Amino acid sequence: MGRERIRKAESFIALSLSTLAALFGLFWLVFIIGDVLIEGVGALNLDLFVEDPAPPGVEGGGLRNAFVGQLMITFFATLIGVPVGVLGGTFLAEYARGRRIARMISILSDIMVSVPSIVVGTFIYAVLVKPLGQFNGWAGAVALAIIMIPVVLRTTEDMLSLVPWTLREAAFALGAPYYRVIVQVVYRGAAAGILTGILLSIARVAGETAPLLFTSFNNSFFSTNMNEPMASLTVTIFQYAMGPYEGWHAQAWAASLVITVFILILTIIGRLVIRWRYGGR
Amino acid sequence: MRKGVEIEVKGLGFYYSGGVHALKNISLPVYRNSVVALIGPSGCGKTTLLRCFNRMHDLYPGNRYVGEILFKDIDILSKEVDLIDLRSRIGMVFQKPTPFPMSIFDNIAYGLKLKGIRKRSELAERVEKALRHAALWDEVKDKLSSSAYTLSGGQQQRLVIARALAVEPEVLLFDEPTSALDPISTAKIEELAVELKKEITIIIVTHNMQQAARISDWTGFLMLGELIEFDRTDKIFTNPSQKLTEDYITGRFG
Repeated sequence: MGRERIRKAESFIALSLSTLAALFGLFWLVFIIGDVLIEGVGALNLDLFVEDPAPPGVEGGGLRNAFVGQLMITFFATLIGVPVGVLGGTFLAEYARGRRIARMISILSDIMVSVPSIVVGTFIYAVLVKPLGQFNGWAGAVALAIIMIPVVLRTTEDMLSLVPWTLREAAFALGAPYYRVIVQVVYRGAAAGILTGILLSIARVAGETAPLLFTSFNNSFFSTNMNEPMASLTVTIFQYAMGPYEGWHAQAWAASLVITVFILILTIIGRLVIRWRYGGR
Repeated sequence: MRKGVEIEVKGLGFYYSGGVHALKNISLPVYRNSVVALIGPSGCGKTTLLRCFNRMHDLYPGNRYVGEILFKDIDILSKEVDLIDLRSRIGMVFQKPTPFPMSIFDNIAYGLKLKGIRKRSELAERVEKALRHAALWDEVKDKLSSSAYTLSGGQQQRLVIARALAVEPEVLLFDEPTSALDPISTAKIEELAVELKKEITIIIVTHNMQQAARISDWTGFLMLGELIEFDRTDKIFTNPSQKLTEDYITGRFG
């Protein structure tokens, strides 16, 4: 009897501690999101999306430059990062499967995922900003792409590894060459997982500030020239939140809300894709 | 090669990359339009032997064959053999159904497209023919564009057979094709195998001795990588010449 009481007590303590930890984490999460929501909604208006920034101290204006800049940098980052990540993951899971090089790249890639993003920013500063003489949009896109690559690469590798070998063998048994097996059979089997990885990696980089500070920097004017400094939401939030003007603060809140919602939407789509593909059966 | 022989295995040996000697000096004839069953306890090498016929082992580095497998005019084990061509002549059906993640139609059309057939009308015609051949047409004709995963396990297995048949192989290899299926689906596949041997030659690995007895004309009994006995199925099951064979089929071990 005594032993059973002890066991129940242990179970109770473990349950209480983990519940408390969960509640603690959840509290701050709700607090942050709630704050962004409350402060952000109040500052949202149409001008934010269609107007460029007003001079400091002047009321009104918007962040059109930052929205467009953010979209462009993220778009080009995706354009660079996704093919490299998907093809690299394919190499690891298919051509180099089981070889030592595959394991090494996987481990390096895992390390890359946790490298502080500011390190990537300073690296790109050294190779794409300093030599070119000025901050530029391309450098920002490349920095974000470098952060994306290991995420996409590892998800692709994992998703391809989940496709059963017998499926590949079945395709080989019909006389298919390897590249057609990969493109027509394996990719199809792993498509939803890879797509989800891509969406989540976009969500991941869309919220990055540090790598952009050193690369695309910021621009108070509307610009679509990737060779020049380019505004982005995250850097703008950083700058406006630190600034002395009430109007800047409000716009920073609004921008925070927009970017949070953007990332939320990407994540939800990612989840839906998983459920649509893997949940139904 | 002897008359009526489709495939002649001569002194075949096989080593896995780790050096495991999985097949030892195997020789047997596979007669045209017959069903050959390979039986034996787990790990005896029957699946390894089956996978030699379409050189499946080549997918993994370090595997090594010795001896020869003569198939019509070619030696399957020769380095010069075009594997893509070989595998379209000798098809394979696996233990678990392996439909591709695409529609029923595209599954069947896959092998045809590999052969360079692109014309929509010809594809449609040959897909229908293959599905009829595998006795699946009536069940799927109204849902050709649905995912192959919507089919039941038994239907998936017949789909896979249809897919293999679509490229009009001369030989079909079955690797325990019914071990994951219910008795009714099993019966359908067995019927199909017997039906198919009118046109092609079938080699089947099976764990189920009743199945071997029911559908095969010839049976090979393997143990520890050696072919203990190869003879007509009725002879093997009624009056085997080897003591080991008798012990195995009467259930004394295995």
